[in-house]
Amino acid sequence: MKMRNRRSKVLVEPPASATGDIAFNLIVFFLVCASVQPDSGRSQTLPRSEEIDEQEKVENIEVQLSRNPNTVMLNGDAVRTPQLVNRLRTLLSNKTREQDKVVIVKSKPETTYFHWIDITGKIEEAGGIITIQTEEEREVRIE
Amino acid sequence: MAMGDIAFNLLIFFVILARAHDDSHLQWDPATTKIVEPSGAAKASLLIDMDNKVYLNGQPIGIAQISSEVGEILGETKAGERTVLLKVHKDVPAMFFQPVIEGISEAGGDLVHVLEKQKE
Repeated sequence: MKMRNRRSKVLVEPPASATGDIAFNLIVFFLVCASVQPDSGRSQTLPRSEEIDEQEKVENIEVQLSRNPNTVMLNGDAVRTPQLVNRLRTLLSNKTREQDKVVIVKSKPETTYFHWIDITGKIEEAGGIITIQTEEEREVRIE
Repeated sequence: MAMGDIAFNLLIFFVILARAHDDSHLQWDPATTKIVEPSGAAKASLLIDMDNKVYLNGQPIGIAQISSEVGEILGETKAGERTVLLKVHKDVPAMFFQPVIEGISEAGGDLVHVLEKQKE
């Protein structure tokens, strides 16, 4: 008899007037769940333009990127991407001043963001400070 | 019962209002990297989608206006709190994302690339 009583209590339906409140609470719950996902990534400090002018007087390491993700040009020499960190570490090892550690990243217009992120990550891993340099298009008239 | 309806409508109104400043409706695939850190609270969010179009806080913007618009949003905010999120579709070419990075740098923003952790 006791068992029957307990079952009948559980099966009582909630009042119809509460459905609005239940729906409202469900919406709030799902909204909170959806908005709580934080963004994650990598912070990057780029020297301001006036600082770059000063640094240009120093001979900096130059990395050139193209569409090919397997190789980059390091000071004019072709280097395979997996070897870049070690090569940069060797070049940066004898540099003590912050301005000497600046690595100029030049990218061809068609270089993909994925490749750029990969290489700049490797430069930072080797202890370099990234600065970007864009190639300006100049029109030359020959008379 | 009417109170519930009013609250519900208010909620919908604020959700729509928030979505106007949101970029979750834009299509982009993040690039991957080995180490990612939480970005924290950001003052502004720039996004370059699959079609190489640039958006500032979900609104389309021209490359030439990025520096001034971001500078206006950042205002006199003190250093360390000037975070600007940069979300770039992984296949976007340098001719589109480099001017955006330069614009953020010119405005004095602390750049954070939004990336996905590489699966091992």
